[in-house]
Amino acid sequence: MYTRCVTACLMGVVGLMLFIGPACSKKEIQATSGSKSSEQAMAKGGGQAASARPEPGISEQDLLKSRADNPSGEIKVAKVQPSDATGRLAEDMRREQAATAAAGLKDVYFAYDSWNITEQARQALSADAEWIKANPTILLKIEGHCDERGTQAYNLVLGEKRAKAVRNYLAELGVGSSRLAVVSYGKERPFCQEHDESCYQQNRRGHIVVRPK
Amino acid sequence: MRVAVFIAYLALCAALVGIMESGAADVFLEATRPDFQKIPIGVLGFQGKTAVDSSAGQVADVLKADLRRSQIFSVADLPKLGIKVNDVDGGEKALFKQATENGISVLVWGKLGVKDADVVLDGFVYDGGEDEVVAGKRYVGPSSVVRLMVHRLADEIVFRYTGEPGIARTKIAYVSEQAGARELYVMDYDGHGPRQVTADGFLNLMPRWSPDRRFLVFTVYRSRLTQDIDLIELATGKRMTLVSLGGLNITPAFSPDGNDLVFATSQDGNSELYKLDTRTKVLQRLTNNSAGDLSPSWSPTGREMAFTSDRGGGPQIYLMGADGSNVRRLTFEGDYNAAPAWSPRGTWIAHVCRTQKREYKLCLISPDGQQNRQITTGPGVDDSPSWSPDGRHLVFSSTLEGKSHIYMINWDGTELERLTSGGIHHSSPSWSPL
Repeated sequence: MYTRCVTACLMGVVGLMLFIGPACSKKEIQATSGSKSSEQAMAKGGGQAASARPEPGISEQDLLKSRADNPSGEIKVAKVQPSDATGRLAEDMRREQAATAAAGLKDVYFAYDSWNITEQARQALSADAEWIKANPTILLKIEGHCDERGTQAYNLVLGEKRAKAVRNYLAELGVGSSRLAVVSYGKERPFCQEHDESCYQQNRRGHIVVRPK
Repeated sequence: MRVAVFIAYLALCAALVGIMESGAADVFLEATRPDFQKIPIGVLGFQGKTAVDSSAGQVADVLKADLRRSQIFSVADLPKLGIKVNDVDGGEKALFKQATENGISVLVWGKLGVKDADVVLDGFVYDGGEDEVVAGKRYVGPSSVVRLMVHRLADEIVFRYTGEPGIARTKIAYVSEQAGARELYVMDYDGHGPRQVTADGFLNLMPRWSPDRRFLVFTVYRSRLTQDIDLIELATGKRMTLVSLGGLNITPAFSPDGNDLVFATSQDGNSELYKLDTRTKVLQRLTNNSAGDLSPSWSPTGREMAFTSDRGGGPQIYLMGADGSNVRRLTFEGDYNAAPAWSPRGTWIAHVCRTQKREYKLCLISPDGQQNRQITTGPGVDDSPSWSPDGRHLVFSSTLEGKSHIYMINWDGTELERLTSGGIHHSSPSWSPL
């Protein structure tokens, strides 16, 4: 710590000397040619977006590359390429929504900060369990959702607790857990966007989804 | 005049020594101490050649904003003081005399020119030595990097008067909603020049920088069922999956040396913290209990980390050694404390705290738990605090204006500034290292 202070003070003194120095010779002070060229390199390097297409992946060698590969020190961002996953995910979502709407399963709702299954939720899940048992080949997914209050990260954990509470209750009603996948979306995919309790209640949800075959 | 400057330097040194002796954990200018005198600075403007005339005023504004954000300078309103800003041309001595009479101790100006296809920016700093320009820098580049050249000049000026690197060329990674999907973006530290980093079409969350700034590490919903932790190289767009365990795989954070990645996974049933050695691929479990553990944030030394755990009921901040040893609870005030971010100086852990009014705001707590302060107030949910590498600012997301936007704030809660505009949703900011 002391060393750093001394260094800082020395810099101050050096700054002062830089300031006194030119008093002896008439001005026109610019960066020296050496640093000038590096400044030029900096500015140019910073402006060039890397145009290479993304390679399949990062290799071990890539990871070991040093920062020396980027002497300008500026952060460059490659032009983004749409992922192959984009279309597939959209198609998955569409099929999932269609299959879920056809099944007519009931969602369940939770209290603030809570993952307890309420009495109302028990009734909904009892009806859901009947349908699920009557359709033994269908696989399901339980999504845990949260309202916008609280942190993104903790809501992902809370959403998972809600989804697992639903799965465990369905298991108690005789639905095999192997048919019930869980996923948490935290507060990332809300059903409504308003900042009030009626919307918050909608978003504190265990959403039961039919996985398309 | 020279004597005055020398005294200013002595005062700077004395301030540094004073901070040292007060037992602060690291040396830096506490720009927000009540007795800290900001350096009054004036920006005279940038004379432009025809082709770049339109950007001349903008350049001065960028520089003024950088200097103001540095928290080292108070930027004077020269026209208000009757000082002409657009015509230096050898008249700096007279202008400086006029400026010092108004209490200004440093003047900055520049020239914008064109050389071939490039823009040339000459920046000058003058703090009163006879009739000498004390520092000059020339930057050359295509017109697309003029802002970067100005940021570089600002960083030079900050370094000149503090001995510390400026942050004007740092960047902020964040998540933005685009066509119904949440994708990663990177923007300049002042919110300019957003660049899209992913186009996966579904849900990407919580980016964090690698210490060398080459990579972002983040959670990607690979399908409608599974989450992985991916690495993306910004300069090339190359990807690699680092973690693909069952359940949640969230809140990755690189150790300061870049060798280890700590993250939360629920492969064991509930969210636990694991450490992945990225060289040997050895995975080590750090927490072991029936509650949720998540959101690790390394101390700047890499010896400890702060994290969120609800092992005591609601979420609270805990500390532990980098190997999972010596776990102890840090926060006791309120029933909800989460999303810790250990400051680069080591002196504070920023986090989201739920106030008595049930609002989610930003708080700071010292690692010994002795000092605790709330730094944001008002409506909206504040989330994901992330420190600037100089430890003077935080960036965070908030719904204080309705939609979720990214904001910057001084560490003491002053000078709130919104960085994102338009759009539907912006969240999860992470400030790049230097």
